[in-house]
Amino acid sequence: MARLEVPEIDYDRYSNRQLAAVPLAVLAVALLIVVGAWVTAGTPVPLGTDFSGGTEFRVAVGGDSPQEAIQTAFPVEPSSIREIPSQGVFVVTFGSGLESPSTAEEAIQCNELEGVDCLSEEQAAAAQQVTYRSSAVISSAFGENLQTTALAGVGVAFLAMALLVFGLFRTFVPSIAVVVSAFSDIVVPLALMRVFGIELSLGTVAALLMLIGYSVDSDILLNNHVLRRSGDFYESTYRAMRTGVTMTLTSLSAMIVLTAVATVFGIDLLASIGIILVFGLSIDLLNTYMLNLSLLRWYKFEGVAR
Amino acid sequence: MSLLGAIRSNWRVGLLVVLVALSTAFLFAPGFGSSASADNPTNLQYGLELDGGTEVRAPLVGVTAEGVAFDNATRGEVSNAVAAELDDVAQRDVITRFQSQDGGTVEATAASVSQDRLGTAVEAAGYEYDAVRNGVTEQTRSRTIQVLQSKINEGGLSGGSVRVIDLPGQRPFVSVQVPGGDRREVLDLVNSRGEVRIVAYEPVEENGTRTYRNTTLFTGDEIRRVGDAIESEDGQPPRVPLRIEGGPAEGIRQSFVDTGVAERGGTRCTYPETEDSCLLVVRDGQVINSFGMQPGLGQSMVNGEWSESPTPAITLSLTNYEEAQQVSIDLQAGALPAALNVDEGTSRTTAPAQGADFKRDSLIAGLLAVLAVSGTVFVRYGEAEVALPMIVTAMAEVYALLGIAALTQYPVDLSVIGGFIAVIGTGVDDLIIIANEVMDEGEVNSRRVFQSRFRKAFWVIGAAAATTVIAMSPLAVLSLGDLQGFAIFTIIGVFIGVFVTRPAYGDILRGLLTDQ
Repeated sequence: MARLEVPEIDYDRYSNRQLAAVPLAVLAVALLIVVGAWVTAGTPVPLGTDFSGGTEFRVAVGGDSPQEAIQTAFPVEPSSIREIPSQGVFVVTFGSGLESPSTAEEAIQCNELEGVDCLSEEQAAAAQQVTYRSSAVISSAFGENLQTTALAGVGVAFLAMALLVFGLFRTFVPSIAVVVSAFSDIVVPLALMRVFGIELSLGTVAALLMLIGYSVDSDILLNNHVLRRSGDFYESTYRAMRTGVTMTLTSLSAMIVLTAVATVFGIDLLASIGIILVFGLSIDLLNTYMLNLSLLRWYKFEGVAR
Repeated sequence: MSLLGAIRSNWRVGLLVVLVALSTAFLFAPGFGSSASADNPTNLQYGLELDGGTEVRAPLVGVTAEGVAFDNATRGEVSNAVAAELDDVAQRDVITRFQSQDGGTVEATAASVSQDRLGTAVEAAGYEYDAVRNGVTEQTRSRTIQVLQSKINEGGLSGGSVRVIDLPGQRPFVSVQVPGGDRREVLDLVNSRGEVRIVAYEPVEENGTRTYRNTTLFTGDEIRRVGDAIESEDGQPPRVPLRIEGGPAEGIRQSFVDTGVAERGGTRCTYPETEDSCLLVVRDGQVINSFGMQPGLGQSMVNGEWSESPTPAITLSLTNYEEAQQVSIDLQAGALPAALNVDEGTSRTTAPAQGADFKRDSLIAGLLAVLAVSGTVFVRYGEAEVALPMIVTAMAEVYALLGIAALTQYPVDLSVIGGFIAVIGTGVDDLIIIANEVMDEGEVNSRRVFQSRFRKAFWVIGAAAATTVIAMSPLAVLSLGDLQGFAIFTIIGVFIGVFVTRPAYGDILRGLLTDQ
């Protein structure tokens, strides 16, 4: 049977500066992307319908040319049509410009609903192919409120986590090491969202909050081993790594599978939770075992001695 | 070791077994929850996303002037005076409430009234006020919710619910959830105020030309009992029987007679060009039916017998049965004090077919995630006796969460399922910590060694659990869209994990490693 072994890294060969440089450079690039997008595009990440407002329909479409059927069946030109791989279901999005979502909703059901007339014979035929599955209408005012609330939520959660970490370790350097690497665990996925064009949705916000909780686990484990246990620094580090890397890889495997399956099935909420956690957990390996570790080593060998 | 001793030293495993047994009862035993049926074998209640239905979430239409000094005027006088200053606003859209001895609030619940307009109108009507704000008063909000709830119940939209969502620093939102309802039904329900008036339509000769005069005879306020709608039969149109309150009956009778609706020989209505006076049923400002009065009722009104009866009765005719039902519901529930401002809210509808797909697909996604976790754990440890209890314990945790969802009848939605998956993730993480901490530092040959290492591992687990709970709590209270379920179940999962399942796994691992 294949065994998963956590390799023992020869940390002796690298200085603290060298170790910290890589994750700090990644963080700097990520910050640049996020802040740059904020300045140029107005938002650090692209906003999904949940936050920008708009209307989203899900329709099941039969026939040979589903895209055409969708365009004919709806009375207004959709701003985007996305296919869900598994089951012939399409997600049709309209910007907040769609004046009457109810009219659009009724138009595609004009053959079934009483008292609703189809627009034309052509439209009736297209509507026949399109089956209504779901719809969400979010006003832009509501979306804006949600943005504020989400931002406040993430901010409060991060601050509370930082306070808790300081309370747990009661020393500055190890605590700030955890907080900085948690910060990076959130900023880097945000930058990746911008790069890959993943929109901010309720699911991604949940995942970002989840990351605050998840990503500090391996840092706490590392700090605990190095600071609170007896034994040589490198031996403690290796022990913490064996546990921590196993933990992260296990969660990572679950999240990769979740992302893949949820994407295929078009369960957007679960897919966006999954993808953000995949980003965050991956970058957490870098942050914990390079950034946090170098700060800890400096603290243990030089900081304490001062 | 004796049996009793074995139980005593493994009581944490016992606790887990009890939890699993209880969850089984909550999930499957009849009596917990009512939703078990052929297509839903468990007691779990599903949310709108998984069962289909519509939710509308929106603030209420309205602005409120606060701290208005009434100067000994009555509520009616204040409302009248303010409404008179607002041209296009009916008096019913201005609500005056006492909040202190001689002052209170004036609300305008018409969409056309801005903060500035209300302020100007209150001032012009001669009352001083402190401030004008967006939104309505708490009393108006709870009355609106009551009315909406009874409209849902009476309208046959079974299982629908109405609640307030409070967001810190923002206007409260009203959420209307109707399982199985489609968007049009629900929007009709929340958009229409459902204010029904019975109006006399009376031809008047003025300088040789004929005009018509409308006089409100009575509204829902003067009705004691509203009957259910009656279907049309024997050539009779669909009807709604009403009983009028004793107090105002005489006044109402008088206006029936004065407007010429009640006449000895009855009246024949040919609305809108009519010789005789008509009775109009007006709903939200629209005439939905017109009819004359039968001779019998006309007779008893003219000679005064009608209002002497202990329960004066009148029957409304409607053009079709649906309309009759709607009028009956509106009169029973009363008019909505303020409508939902759907333009500033959200609405979501899921068709049952989509819900069924979500249910099946998210189950598959969850199971595959569990498989992935199990696979990784098996590969990492290579020993089934370490890995298997780990997976079983983590599954037990999710099972217990399902039990809690069934017990509390919390509607399971995609976000709750996301929470379950997150719990498997954190759960297995913690079990890995326990296993590694205990086994990494060499042979475990005594109970004491095990306990000491387990306690050290638990410090990390406690700290990790605390950070997860702290990170999730804003979501649990903020009601950020639909994520409350995600946060609540993640937090409950963490607590079950720390207090039940992880200690139990410790016992199991100790049994495996020390043969005790």
